[in-house]
Amino acid sequence: MDELSLAHHEFPILGRAYFLGGRASTSVKRVLLEAGVDVDTIRRISVACYEAEMNVVLHARSGFIAVDIHPTQVVVSVLDQGPGIEDVRLAMTPGWSSASEEARALGFGAGMGLPNIDEQADEMEIASRAGEGVRLKLIFHRGGRGDG
Amino acid sequence: MAEAAQLTVTEAAQRLGLSICASGDRMDAAITGAQVSDLLSYVMAQGRSGHLWITIQAHPNIVAVAALTGLAGVIVAGGFVPNEEAVARAEEEGVPLLTSPESAYRIAGRLYELGVR
Repeated sequence: MDELSLAHHEFPILGRAYFLGGRASTSVKRVLLEAGVDVDTIRRISVACYEAEMNVVLHARSGFIAVDIHPTQVVVSVLDQGPGIEDVRLAMTPGWSSASEEARALGFGAGMGLPNIDEQADEMEIASRAGEGVRLKLIFHRGGRGDG
Repeated sequence: MAEAAQLTVTEAAQRLGLSICASGDRMDAAITGAQVSDLLSYVMAQGRSGHLWITIQAHPNIVAVAALTGLAGVIVAGGFVPNEEAVARAEEEGVPLLTSPESAYRIAGRLYELGVR
């Protein structure tokens, strides 16, 4: 955590812009490739970032993904301005979703987002205040799971 | 009997009579497996590099999912047609985007017969 960050990047996310969904995550993947992060770590971060990005698109007004690339780990923060999550434990339940019918018709809202993120990240912290937004912090150890 | 060489996206397109909406730059990549799902999170969780994804979703997010998980390509089944944004995004991301009037079930069955496991 006290490691010097080799690179810091931020990518904006626009709420409700379904069809732009994935732009920020694709940018994250690109900077990780450029930084020489290993492919397994990039895959895990890509999956988690996309799920987090789509949560912002589906539920919030706006947000951003911040990525800090350290020598042994990558820290991803996803912050949004939106309704927040009233009950984080409930939201973590596989299959539970508050997504709209419109979102579900597009293949989202299966209640797999947060569980997928938790599955991919080595450490996950989620903080939310109803009516304000969500702060998600994810840590990925580079070079394989638990190899940080 | 010797195992046949792995099918490429180009070969799959020819054998299954798929229409090519966006060819990307990975048409000659080997197909290492496949996914059939219309839930994007399912494919994010289960999709692996080299998998071909069969779905009836036809919006640009399928391209984002394919690009992020390194899929070999996406087949939009059942006669659904990707919109312009999806095609443009596939060109941009280099993701092969194919279509077929056949059902996801039939496409999956034929890929299985061709050795994609």
